Amino acid sequence: MYIGKQSHIQRRAIILLVVLLLLAVAPPTEAQEVAIGTATATVLSAVTVTATAALAFGNVYQGVTASIANNNASAAIFTISGQANAGVTLYFQLPEYLTLTTGGDRMNISFSATDASIDTTGANNPATMAGTKGWQDTDPRGLPSTATIGSAGTSVYLGGKVYPSAFQQAGSYSADIILTVSYNGT
Amino acid sequence: MNCKLAIAFLFFLLIGTSAFAQPIVTGVSDLAFGTMYPGVPLKVDKASASAAEFSITGTAGAEVTVTFTLPTYMNVSGYTMQMIFFNTDMAIDSNPTPNQLAPAYNDLDPWQTQTVRLGSAGLTVWLGGKAVPALKQQSGSYVADIVLTVQYTGN
Repeated sequence: MYIGKQSHIQRRAIILLVVLLLLAVAPPTEAQEVAIGTATATVLSAVTVTATAALAFGNVYQGVTASIANNNASAAIFTISGQANAGVTLYFQLPEYLTLTTGGDRMNISFSATDASIDTTGANNPATMAGTKGWQDTDPRGLPSTATIGSAGTSVYLGGKVYPSAFQQAGSYSADIILTVSYNGT
Repeated sequence: MNCKLAIAFLFFLLIGTSAFAQPIVTGVSDLAFGTMYPGVPLKVDKASASAAEFSITGTAGAEVTVTFTLPTYMNVSGYTMQMIFFNTDMAIDSNPTPNQLAPAYNDLDPWQTQTVRLGSAGLTVWLGGKAVPALKQQSGSYVADIVLTVQYTGN
């Protein structure tokens, strides 16, 4: 009787061992683990530019050139806002002539290498511009690459000169002046 | 087989079973682009301190597959920002002292499943990437999930 019980226990132990053996050698491919990481980024406010004031030559006479300095109240004003102290790239697309609103005639316009100023105080007042406020009398076709947005924004002032001919047709003339502003990552 | 032998065999089996430990994968650090300007894309290199890092542990010498599920956008409050992962943005090192600058497996394609063997200290996985904010990208803190799945191959 005792021998029979022992044999029975041994058989059960062997069965248990076989089961454990099967478990032990089971392919571990079912073991899978997943982790979730994160990508993060903080995007700053977008840059905006607004044409605040036109370059206004007012009334001009046939055959008499007219100039507007960039510190004149009639200078063009562009207002830039965005992330304070961020570096920006500025690019003017300047016209070569004004067009008669009703069509039929053109009037030449030019911009010198000192016709632009960049005011990082954001004053939007050409008359108060000074060298200590940014870049004064700079080239509108080669604006400084180190320009930044001031804490209250940045203003860009632009002057120019028109050349009405002796036979310039009377009327209102206009042209687009485009200033493109983008962050440069600095 | 007597009972003592059976117990010894059982003990052996338990030890053998524990050798096939479940792989554990942990996100160590985020893929952090930091502050970005609208319109100015930014790339984080896989060898930089801002790269994502994952740690994998398990049975040393076991072969595993490592599979990323990558986002194509980051999100904030309904706004999205494009992300790009290039085919060399992933690196893996199986050395006990992982070297991010000179990993054992470099310039891997994170879009493809990679098969490697766990080192004595497991594996370290790095991931770089690029974020591309639009010119008028909405400001805010953007996030996206990066999922890493690890599985034994049985080899």
